[in-house]
Amino acid sequence: MLRELAALTRREFIKLARNPQAIFTTLTLPILYLLLFGNGFSFNVAQYVNPALPIPPHQQLIDLLDDYFRGAPDYYSYFAAGMVGFVSVTATLFIGANVIFDKLFGVFRRTRGTPAPSAAVFGSRLIAGATQPILLAFFVMGLALLFAHVSGLHGLTVTGSVGVVGALQIIAAIVLLSLMFATLFLTFGILIDVPQTYFAAVNVINLPVLLTSDALYPWGTMPTWLRNVSSYNPVSLAVNVLREVMFGSGAYPYGPGVYLLGLFAWAAVLIGIAILLVRRALRPLE
Amino acid sequence: MADTPAIQVEGLKKIYNGKILAVDDISFRVPRGETFGFLGPNGAGKTTTVSMLTAGLRPTHGHAVIDGLDVSRDPDEVKRRIGIIFQESTADGDLTGRENLEVAAGCFGISMSEARIRSRRLLEQMQLTDAADRPAKTYSGGMRRRLELAVGLINEPRILFLDEPTLGLDPQGRAGFWGFIKQLRANDGLTVFVTTHYLDEADEMCDRIAIIDHGKIVATGTPTELKDRLGGDVVSLRTPEGSPDVSGILSPLPGVSAVQKQDGTYRVKCQRGETFVPRAVAACTSAGVGVIGVTVKRPSLDEVFLEYTGREFREDEGPTATDRAVMLQRVQGQLRGRR
Repeated sequence: MLRELAALTRREFIKLARNPQAIFTTLTLPILYLLLFGNGFSFNVAQYVNPALPIPPHQQLIDLLDDYFRGAPDYYSYFAAGMVGFVSVTATLFIGANVIFDKLFGVFRRTRGTPAPSAAVFGSRLIAGATQPILLAFFVMGLALLFAHVSGLHGLTVTGSVGVVGALQIIAAIVLLSLMFATLFLTFGILIDVPQTYFAAVNVINLPVLLTSDALYPWGTMPTWLRNVSSYNPVSLAVNVLREVMFGSGAYPYGPGVYLLGLFAWAAVLIGIAILLVRRALRPLE
Repeated sequence: MADTPAIQVEGLKKIYNGKILAVDDISFRVPRGETFGFLGPNGAGKTTTVSMLTAGLRPTHGHAVIDGLDVSRDPDEVKRRIGIIFQESTADGDLTGRENLEVAAGCFGISMSEARIRSRRLLEQMQLTDAADRPAKTYSGGMRRRLELAVGLINEPRILFLDEPTLGLDPQGRAGFWGFIKQLRANDGLTVFVTTHYLDEADEMCDRIAIIDHGKIVATGTPTELKDRLGGDVVSLRTPEGSPDVSGILSPLPGVSAVQKQDGTYRVKCQRGETFVPRAVAACTSAGVGVIGVTVKRPSLDEVFLEYTGREFREDEGPTATDRAVMLQRVQGQLRGRR
């Protein structure tokens, strides 16, 4: 099993390394979001607070904005954490399409003609497919932190004390989120044979999931019903972990561990369903 | 084990979606070391049969035993013992020839060090060493086929399945490919099961042939046996358009075993065609029917094929059974979508 997994995973990484255009495209999208979208919507809390005001209204405004961005010092910091969740999902979209193209080009048939177990066939693609969004998520976080030190740009400002546990919680949230969506879209790729059908199915999942999360919207602008929906959204759960660790727990009813648990439950259910479907689809005899 | 046939098929049947009968109760045996040709028009059930024998498709009924193992019971072990060359190219174009081989070896659980040794040897054997580190997408058609063959041999199989292996190759590429197969048979005693559209290849390369049509095997034998069964030479006589039927004049002539009329041409099976022609022309002329063309052919597999399937051996005769099954699934899907 391990040799089969190693051989097929090697193939995936060779193909990735031989496609620099794809790497460039994957990096361009979050850079543009961080540079343009984030900066375009950003505003500094301080500029709306008149220090001459008496203390109570001043404090009220601070508290209001604190709730507005769930503890983040500004929209950019709030948005940057959301972008990490956003790319953890969007970078997995093509993972299943690669399977479909391999089916069309006969490569998948060759693999299926060998005794390589279905776990190795699936696992190799999952490892390669989930590594990209995980690395991209950390790249986005690093870039956003860097922007905070570039004059004229907004950037991610961490106001909480992260610590080792916090860092591990951030890593766990990113890995779980990427793994979950990579599994989902990889399963689609194995079950579907037509690229157009695949992309339609992916959009049916991808857009609603991202648009019902609080990855990009300021929490303060979201209507109550959307906040309620968002509370159970896996992207929101992962982003909550990041924001709570980076900006403090004041604006959250639960600790990061609870959101991680929710994320883990989502991952367990989705991966469980995927295993059942994929085992059926990749039986030795069709 | 030596007495066990390499391939033993009994009552094999495949019905797609409970409706389309692709393979209908076929049985045959292929002894070890034999090259067995499986011929038939498109849609006859060749690829479905190969898929069942190579553990890619579950039979609806019947048994296929490969190297002593039942395909339905032990598909993974069967896959370990066979090599497959698919009809379409399956090499990964982004990977080099060497990487394609190493990945294929890994899929059989072969260690990396052993994979490197086998890859080097196969690349040399297939004369691909110079191109070994180039992406496979830069290979010519013949080189890609040789790479496919090398990939199919990476697990050192005892039985090799070739599904239309030379389709699309030029005559030089075809000759080169079969040269490698001959070499492998001579050196390693491989059993080869081949489907091909090229009857000259089947005639030259196969020890025995089975002809399948509408999912049933309609003839089996050595190429010589099959040709002999036609009853000697085939003389084609062409008469002018609108001429009266001369079948009744040709049939009683000495040595004639059968007369078939097709589009103004009479296909006459007879002994010693060269002596039959003057007698046939004289008989037709006496009946007032001129003969405007005559050909005498020693029977080839084309004639055998025509005899047993009633069709010329051509490509692109229509959708295959698999195509038909896919079409049916799509139509069913669309109908479900409308409900």
